[in-house]
Amino acid sequence: MEEALKHERVEVLIDHIMKKCLWEFHSRSWDRERQNREILGWAKKSLLGEADEAPVDRLDRCHWVDGVVLARAWKKRCRWLSELDAVDISELVDAVHERLDYLTITGSLNKELTDHQY
Amino acid sequence: MPYHEFEVSKTIPERKMHAVDKTPGATIADALPLGYLPTIPGTLSERGCAYCGAKHVIGTPMKDVIHLSHGPVGCTYDTWQTKRYISDDGNFQLKYTFASDMKEKHVVFGAEKLLKQNILEAFKAFPNIKRMSIYQTCASALIGDDIEAVAQEVMEEMPDVDIFVCNSPGFRGPSQSGGHHTICIAWFKDKVGTMEPEITSDYVINYVGEYNIQGDQEVMQDFFKRMGIQVLSTFTGNGSYDDLRGMHRAHLNVLECARSSEYLCNELRVKYGIPRLDIDGFGFEPLSGSLRKVGLFFGIEDRAEKIIQEETARWKPELEWYKVRLMHKKVCLWPGGSKLWHWANAIHEEMGVDVVSVYTKFGHQGDMEKGIARAQEGALAIDDPNELESLEAMYKLKPDCIFTGKRPGEFAKKVRVPYLNAHAYHNGPWKGYEGWVRFARDIYNAIFSPIHELALVDISKDEIDTSHGFVTRRMLSDKDLPDEIKNDPTLRQYTGTFDVMPALRSKTKADYPFMQDAPSVAACAA
Repeated sequence: MEEALKHERVEVLIDHIMKKCLWEFHSRSWDRERQNREILGWAKKSLLGEADEAPVDRLDRCHWVDGVVLARAWKKRCRWLSELDAVDISELVDAVHERLDYLTITGSLNKELTDHQY
Repeated sequence: MPYHEFEVSKTIPERKMHAVDKTPGATIADALPLGYLPTIPGTLSERGCAYCGAKHVIGTPMKDVIHLSHGPVGCTYDTWQTKRYISDDGNFQLKYTFASDMKEKHVVFGAEKLLKQNILEAFKAFPNIKRMSIYQTCASALIGDDIEAVAQEVMEEMPDVDIFVCNSPGFRGPSQSGGHHTICIAWFKDKVGTMEPEITSDYVINYVGEYNIQGDQEVMQDFFKRMGIQVLSTFTGNGSYDDLRGMHRAHLNVLECARSSEYLCNELRVKYGIPRLDIDGFGFEPLSGSLRKVGLFFGIEDRAEKIIQEETARWKPELEWYKVRLMHKKVCLWPGGSKLWHWANAIHEEMGVDVVSVYTKFGHQGDMEKGIARAQEGALAIDDPNELESLEAMYKLKPDCIFTGKRPGEFAKKVRVPYLNAHAYHNGPWKGYEGWVRFARDIYNAIFSPIHELALVDISKDEIDTSHGFVTRRMLSDKDLPDEIKNDPTLRQYTGTFDVMPALRSKTKADYPFMQDAPSVAACAA
């Protein structure tokens, strides 16, 4: 996928997360890192058809729910997702992950993220 | 995304970092208002204190409890019949308010004896109530009264009562948000796990951060019960003290207002392994997504889907009627904390209004991240505004309506901007599908009020138009609508009842067939 197109698509997928989801805004950096990693991980698996089975562990299952719902919403909003192959999907979600980590963690101006008192 | 300097706050330079314009293309990593900081001296804030946050916001919605403030009687001013967190058992928590009535002599000589006398009197006056919450205030904190010791003494003398103590005096934190944190942690440490609840379903949740404003909790509980889900406890609207002691047995924490009670969910996750699922109960799409997520978690998504289809078919035509009439009306979304992000995108997408400003009185920077991310480009985001800044924003932005609390709401009226009460609602509940239509109706009624039209006329200088007589809302709202929309047979105004609660409360077990079908629970009991 060309860089310009990839960038454009990443922004569309990020826009959906920002406007419709809440899981990316937990209170601390470590919390957000885990949320972004787990939920986008499940979203990627779901897009690749590898997330049909719900995890037994309740904490994992919660991430799975958010990931599966996100993948469904992305597919509904972005018809072009169904035309991508596994490599492109994987690269795209990785790029979304990187961008989301920047917006919510590494580039975030939220001074509470590194507050040790939870 | 530049920081926004108000003309009226040029003499308070620190304020510049508390407001941001959401400019095109900018992100929350470019500029973010400061938040959750002590109010700057010289700026008249609209905040409440940490005692208010603990007691008036979170503690008091618990329904079967004597809520007693240990302090001057004035600290309870905001409780007695001024809040709208109703309950399904007669509204004891709204009808009665209790204070130990500390005076100067108690500050000098101590008020522990006075407190004990008050506790005993209150239990005697209401012999059917066996639970109590005591809230420390600035006065009792400063003199160092040992409230826990007094409570313990009473519990030993009266074994059938249980008392919760919340030490959140007004000065404990920059705003009411400090009190939210304190009471969440205190409840978790002192009370969670001290009562074993009865489990009646295979699917058990705590509904956290929901305060039953005009019945919101009961609307949501109805959806959960229709899915066969046991709401073990609600923190705290319409919630029962003993149910909340049993929170540790839930399978999932469904979190609505993360601002006020994410602390509790996070602790429950760490100690008991109960996951936290953040949801949105406002708006057709966000609510549908939330019900689907809860259903998916338990493997009963089909039950959620049935509710979504039924409710959407029933109420969507009514929401659309208002949407076409509210299209591009400008609103300021100025609530206390979480509603700025719960509503910012949903009211734009589903009601057609443009959110020109978001603010939060006590939110943290995390709330601003969510709110700004969800607001439209051009929105002015303000943290902890003072009254003059709010006025300047209204003069500049010229909103058609603002959604805020009763204090800023009153001065909005003075500059002829209608307001809706974002905290307590006008004609709620506003959660649920029908509730969302009721909210749209309230916005419509506020913006197109013929009385408001008259208020815009300054009789000291404006010419009075006598060419026409009485006008109705419909005449105002439909003035520029094309005929095909005005006469669209698929759209209709709200057709629900004045009060939705009686019907909801009259439901019986037969209305919840899935609640009677919990095989593994039955097997356990056997």
